[in-house]
Amino acid sequence: MTERIVVTGIGMVTPLGRDSESSWAGVLQGRNGVGPIRRFDPTGFPVRFAAEAPVAGDGPALKAELVRLALDEALGQSKLEGAYDPARLGTCLGSEACRPPWTWLWRGDPPSEPELLALAPDAPTRQVEARTRARGPRSTVSTACTSSSQAIGEAMLRIRRGEVDAVVCGGVDALSDPLMVVGFAKLGALSTRNGAPELASRPFDVHRDGFVLGEGAGLLVLERETTAARRGAEVLAVAEGWGCSCNAWRITDSPPDGRGAADAMSMALSDAGLVPADIGYVNAHGTSTQQNDASESTAIRRVLGGVPVSSTKGMMGHLVAACGAVEAILCVLALRDGVMPGSRNLDDPDPACDLNLVRVATHVSLKHALTNAFGFGGSNGTLVFGRA
Amino acid sequence: MTDTRAGVVDGPDLGPWLRRKKDARLLPRAAQLALPAAGTAMAAFAGDPEALGLVVAVGREPPDEGEAEASLAAMCRDGALARDRLGSEGRALYPPLLPLRTLPNMVLAHLAIAHGIRGENAVFAGGEEAGRHAFEEASAMLREGRAEVVLVGAAYSAVDLASARDRLRLGLSGPPGEGAIFALLSAAMPLPPARLLGVGDLGPVAALTGLLPSA
Repeated sequence: MTERIVVTGIGMVTPLGRDSESSWAGVLQGRNGVGPIRRFDPTGFPVRFAAEAPVAGDGPALKAELVRLALDEALGQSKLEGAYDPARLGTCLGSEACRPPWTWLWRGDPPSEPELLALAPDAPTRQVEARTRARGPRSTVSTACTSSSQAIGEAMLRIRRGEVDAVVCGGVDALSDPLMVVGFAKLGALSTRNGAPELASRPFDVHRDGFVLGEGAGLLVLERETTAARRGAEVLAVAEGWGCSCNAWRITDSPPDGRGAADAMSMALSDAGLVPADIGYVNAHGTSTQQNDASESTAIRRVLGGVPVSSTKGMMGHLVAACGAVEAILCVLALRDGVMPGSRNLDDPDPACDLNLVRVATHVSLKHALTNAFGFGGSNGTLVFGRA
Repeated sequence: MTDTRAGVVDGPDLGPWLRRKKDARLLPRAAQLALPAAGTAMAAFAGDPEALGLVVAVGREPPDEGEAEASLAAMCRDGALARDRLGSEGRALYPPLLPLRTLPNMVLAHLAIAHGIRGENAVFAGGEEAGRHAFEEASAMLREGRAEVVLVGAAYSAVDLASARDRLRLGLSGPPGEGAIFALLSAAMPLPPARLLGVGDLGPVAALTGLLPSA
């Protein structure tokens, strides 16, 4: 039997808080993390709200600060520093290239060498590597909204293969940026509920009209169970299964039958050695777009039947490349505390989303939880976690 | 610029690889190179593509190749950029498909759609290490039985104005290049040496160039 992989550290910054516990409290309260854009003056923009993290800055400096906060928390909790031979410690983050800050357009000269390096998609991974002094495999996964889910899956695979004993993994993103807002609005992907931003992100609700761009970071420390036990690390949860697939359908749309998503969930269950009835809670990708929510609902219903489901994007918007890691951490906390998060703004469930939807945070004995992340271009990722 | 040389690929002819002609406007340069390269590798495949694994290495996100210039021009007031005009005049001319063209996983997405590939997948971003990771991941998929056949490769293009500017800033010597290399793996193979082709910077493609004798 393959040795178990355990979670010994978590750290996250979300629109609801600068650390895991404050974010988790906000999720359980169903608090709103969406509001008017403050990173720039959105006057005249088609969408003037976002789910911004409570952290100052913009561009690569903002992303670096999000990573720093999440990493400090995860490392502090796991007490990982100095515990491993650096060659047995890996890093794997999901992220995308950073947009140059808007202010750079005005200053009249192109980015410097350090600035260009800070914009690169692997800049957050290099930041984590430098801070942890890891010398094991370092990789950066870029599959849009699936990126950090895939980074965690990749970390699990590297530990299983014996390449490393521990990996710091997760992801970061920050898309409250003028060009991103205009670009995604032109695509018709964003909610335009400018008059009531707090009601804009409403996964699985019949009146949903698009997603809300967000900011955040989520980092986890994954370890081989024996090495974690040897050093007396507290185990928060078990990383049990990983599955991924392609839709091979269209660039922007999900297949109505949810086949790619269903494949990823089935693969993750199989990888974890579980059957559908073992899953007690699903943290859905649930973006609040018409197509994703309907397609994902079909897939969940087909693979997992009437399992309780919620989407936490109603509270914190869509963190894009970071959403997979942040929502994985929410599953870890759900298992730790025995509580399923609810679905903010689920006032009128869409009949096309035929799910057992959790409206408010509900205490329940959970053994296994599953979380989905699906990306533009048809990349799907599913992670399964078990109670410690 | 003092050095005007670059390793540029002619064409390519995308006709055989597109389901719809209009899909060409969605293709970043790296995907234009990847489609025929992967298509050649897939020509020998007679099995079920749905079960194929797919692993791709890319450089950085594909740059905007001038599509947003009209939008930026419309944002100018009195010869200077005016941010408030991005929400109005600039927005009207902003290309709606630009965000999709510049996502790093678009090479993988277009390959999956073109060939109907639905199995395990990954996209690694970065320099040469991304190409090495892609090949390692594809090899591991086969070893671990997560796929019986894997399409693996890398695609990269640094032959555009934005990349040229960045290369100057980064002090990179030698001419920029572009290319794509794909292979269909069905049995364990040794890792290839990271060997440069001598046509300039090939980013993640460089790590895989030892794979094929004719590379």
